[in-house]
Amino acid sequence: MNDIAIDLQEIVKTYKTGSIEVQALRGVTLRIERGEYVAIMGPSGSGKSTLMNVIGCLDRPTLGNYRLDGIDVSALDDRALAKIRLEKLGFIFQGFNLLPRTDAMKNVSLPLFYAKVSPKERRERAQRALAEVGLADRAHHRPSELSGGQQQRVAIARALINNPAVLLADEPTGNLDTATSEEILSLFKSLHRSGRTIVVVTHDEEVAERANRVVRLRDGLILSDTPTPHGHFSEGSVVQREAIPQS
Amino acid sequence: MVDYIRETLELMQANLTRTVLTLVGLVVGVAAIISIQVAAAGMAAAVNGAFRGINMNTFFIFPKSTQGSTQRANLGLSDLKLLDRNVPGVETAIPFGQTRTIVSAGHQHIMLKFGGESYRRFSTAPVVAGHAITRSDVENATPVCVLSAKAYKRLFPHAADPETVLGQSVYVGPKRYVVAGILGPATLSTASLGFDINNDVVIPYTTFYNDYQRGRPLFGIQVLGSRDATLATLEANAKRVLSDAHGGSIYQTFDFGFFTKKVDGFFGVIGTIVGAVGAISLLVAGIGIMNILFVSVSERTREIGIRRAIGASRATILIQFFVEAFVLAFSGSLIGMLAGLGIGELAQQILIARISGTIAALPWTQAILLATLFATIVTLVFGTLPALRAASVDPIEALRYE
Repeated sequence: MNDIAIDLQEIVKTYKTGSIEVQALRGVTLRIERGEYVAIMGPSGSGKSTLMNVIGCLDRPTLGNYRLDGIDVSALDDRALAKIRLEKLGFIFQGFNLLPRTDAMKNVSLPLFYAKVSPKERRERAQRALAEVGLADRAHHRPSELSGGQQQRVAIARALINNPAVLLADEPTGNLDTATSEEILSLFKSLHRSGRTIVVVTHDEEVAERANRVVRLRDGLILSDTPTPHGHFSEGSVVQREAIPQS
Repeated sequence: MVDYIRETLELMQANLTRTVLTLVGLVVGVAAIISIQVAAAGMAAAVNGAFRGINMNTFFIFPKSTQGSTQRANLGLSDLKLLDRNVPGVETAIPFGQTRTIVSAGHQHIMLKFGGESYRRFSTAPVVAGHAITRSDVENATPVCVLSAKAYKRLFPHAADPETVLGQSVYVGPKRYVVAGILGPATLSTASLGFDINNDVVIPYTTFYNDYQRGRPLFGIQVLGSRDATLATLEANAKRVLSDAHGGSIYQTFDFGFFTKKVDGFFGVIGTIVGAVGAISLLVAGIGIMNILFVSVSERTREIGIRRAIGASRATILIQFFVEAFVLAFSGSLIGMLAGLGIGELAQQILIARISGTIAALPWTQAILLATLFATIVTLVFGTLPALRAASVDPIEALRYE
């Protein structure tokens, strides 16, 4: 067991566009412990998407060290990174990113397919994951037959199915209306309460304030790293706070 | 792997029209090639089968007519023994001789082919009553005869049973021959080609010589080679042996390989032409498959990105697209293959079986193996580029792609 889920040391990411070099990250050091609920904020161009890609092992840092769940992933090749994404990370996207022609069950079980889990076990685990997000009765609906909130919940079930070390969400409520956003955010909250490590990249203050800690980026550097007020609240008061919009 | 195949099939179903249109080229190309091959093989088998009424290791040897001294080249009975003894692989050598003549039995007078035969038989028709010409018949030049199925039927139209005809007499002019045996029909006969190599009535070749050829040089010699002898070698040796014995005279040989080679050659040419046309249509079909795969890659860029983010490696994506290419190519070539076999079989039933009564066996197992092999080649040749493109999709770019 490793207490540190994400450990970024002096991460630099440089993009070359023709002859112009763009430094998207200019030395980011960030440590996220297991069980934390962290929001990463920043205006566009601040480097938050790049940071998200690096944390998500979709991109490799130009310089610096990155340990995910104790594993040094900065030097891994494509196959090994794919395996890390499969086993250690769960992605939730703004646009849901479900496979369009495939029903909810198949979408949720896709990571298990790549993990070479038997079809029977895939179905059982997918069914359980769907029940966890409250969609047990929508297993055989295609994304086009589901509402935005339902689609995002399918995506969350997919992200959770491999029991990842970190749940990584990129603007998870960006395409949703207020009520549905609230639904998703309280789902995040309960996931956090059950001990999940969650990293949310967002520009929405309301989304960020639900986290326990907010990291603000500007020009490729960390501007501030502060706990949110309710980060210090007791469990009981947190439950109270989120009980209101649900009722 | 099964999941990839299932997924591809679902995908093909989702884009049914496009899939069908893509596969049509492949199906038509493969079907054309296979059906022509089957039909050609059937034709060739039927024509070659027609020669099976006669032992195929038969050849004829004649003095060449255009040479200095035809006198010296003339063949006689001593040459039969010479070939028998000095050419390895010769089973028997008899004077070549046959004539169309009136054969009579009772009130029946029928124009039939009449010739000599040895106790080692040139004909392959089965003996249904009595016996074939025996060794002692040949050695003693006895006046016996063996009737073919056709001769029996025409000379003894009222006989209830071939057995009852044995011991009866047939006449050629004043000469009388006792029926010693009756043949059944040959399984395949040259009659389907419009002529019959076998004689209708045969007598021992020695009797035939005594009665019709004595005092004249032989027109030619008919040689039967043993089963394991090669005709070309036999013919060359026979020519050399006779040439040595006749002071360097020149001899020529003739066998049925000439016919069968012609037939095989003819269908070989047809097969090649259709093969070439088919190959072009297959090339076009392959490019069609490549196109549909490229479309599939660019249509599914986002999907590839999702899969990569979720944990699929480049290799996994590569495999997925290869499977897709293979399933497309395999279903196309299998359908084409089966259609081709069906059309080929139909052609055989309608055209060939009517002429020859034979149908060449259809190479089903071969066809399926061939379809697999072909699909593999198409997959590798036309699927590699799209699959590589799919594998090289950058997940970050793909996920941003709307």
